[in-house]
Amino acid sequence: MKLVIYEDSTFENFYPLSLIRPIFDLKCGANSLADKIRRNFSDLEVAYFIRNHLADTFLQRNEGASVNDVSALNEDLLIANGRWLCLKSEVSAEGPDEIGTSGDAVVYIRASSETVARCQGESFCELLGNLCEALPKKEVGEELISYCWNLVHHNADALVADFESLGKSGVHGELHPLSCVYGDESQVYVAPGAVIHPTVVLDSMGGPIIIEEDVIVFPHTRIEGPCFIGRDSQIVGGKIREGCSIGPVCRVGGEVEESIIHGYSNKYHDGFLGHAYVGEWVNLGALTTNSDLKNDYSTVEVKLNGQTIDTNDTKVGSFIGDHTKTSIGTLFNTGTIVGMMTNILGGNEILPKNVPSFCLFANGKAFKGFGLKNLLGTAETAMGRRKVELTEADRVLLTHACELTREERMEAVKKARREIRHG
Amino acid sequence: MPSNEEIRERIIKVTAALLKIETTGINDGDDFAKDLGAESLQSVELVAGFEEEFDIEMDEEEALSVSTVGSAVEYIANVVAEQHG
Repeated sequence: MKLVIYEDSTFENFYPLSLIRPIFDLKCGANSLADKIRRNFSDLEVAYFIRNHLADTFLQRNEGASVNDVSALNEDLLIANGRWLCLKSEVSAEGPDEIGTSGDAVVYIRASSETVARCQGESFCELLGNLCEALPKKEVGEELISYCWNLVHHNADALVADFESLGKSGVHGELHPLSCVYGDESQVYVAPGAVIHPTVVLDSMGGPIIIEEDVIVFPHTRIEGPCFIGRDSQIVGGKIREGCSIGPVCRVGGEVEESIIHGYSNKYHDGFLGHAYVGEWVNLGALTTNSDLKNDYSTVEVKLNGQTIDTNDTKVGSFIGDHTKTSIGTLFNTGTIVGMMTNILGGNEILPKNVPSFCLFANGKAFKGFGLKNLLGTAETAMGRRKVELTEADRVLLTHACELTREERMEAVKKARREIRHG
Repeated sequence: MPSNEEIRERIIKVTAALLKIETTGINDGDDFAKDLGAESLQSVELVAGFEEEFDIEMDEEEALSVSTVGSAVEYIANVVAEQHG
């Protein structure tokens, strides 16, 4: 039997964070959605189906993986929707052919090799369609992530489940005598190679804490569980409140609450980040702050892909795409979508709730900026500082993402130009 | 199609408004940054201002490499001819 993890057609709902990665590579808890699915079906070889333009960079990170290869689907299959938040699932790889659903959406399809052969088509989409027509459906109590704010909403629960699955606890790195675990030490895992400086409190009263190898936690830091700090990250003082996943290779200070920082990003200085998802290679300048609660405590609306969506949640922060940089004093409103590879000069006024990708955003207006070549140069420099190469495949993907986001960006740019002319 | 003289006048008008300087102080040989004081963000705003003024789209890197008022007249005249000719 083979496990197949696929992206369904809702990938735009996760923009900008899904512009350059498959939906299932988004994180919730200590690892990605795909990691959880693989963990649940750990004995199975895995094949992936993703948007074609993501394949080269996906293979860079997952050497030798089976990607978009329909010919590899010639055995019993468990096909998993990559949006499945698979925490301690009861679903088994063994069982009758069936489709597990959540409302109208497919969570998984279990199909024997005979059924797969009967339903095969020219493409994976055709196979899925044929299986959906052929097999019985049953509603299962499994969670499908629909938007980025769902990842943040479930992050604390996912951290608890991931800590349990980790099966490790205790302090195996260095914990200075003037620091402490406040709460149950069995709910804390500090990996070998991690260094906790003086005057740090690891507060596990509210949930478990995972600190991976080569993490450094500097003085005057309080880390409140549940929390995950990924390898080679540095926490440079401040309040890491409950429900945070940070890293790997992040530099974080100030106040962070119920947020996911995907990796290789910096929020070195003071400023509040709450109920947010920050992509990779982001730098949040000093005093960058986002709101995550409206003054009237009503539910937060998010503007995404031209639509206004009620999140049905009162605590919703910002969703910041990869490679975006903010200046000092940038202020994000509740429920803001910030594009990728955008250079924001905040100017101490609250920004609009939708900032396009690949632009220069200054004085409340979007500009084309200094061009894609300049942006790629900055990316190469930023990545080089962490000894990561910006490969040709990365450049191609980023160029493609720039093209995909052109229409939205040009609409904002033209509006800005009109304001300059008539302003 | 506007003449180069008209293009020059309009470039000077946009530049003066954005950089908050007098039009009379702007000459062909003036470098936007070194002589007229345009900082990097203002250079980007100038490009946007010219695009709106002449209803054109310019390549960001090409446009930002145009350093003087006189060369801007030539560059924009070419772009206007290409896009509206």
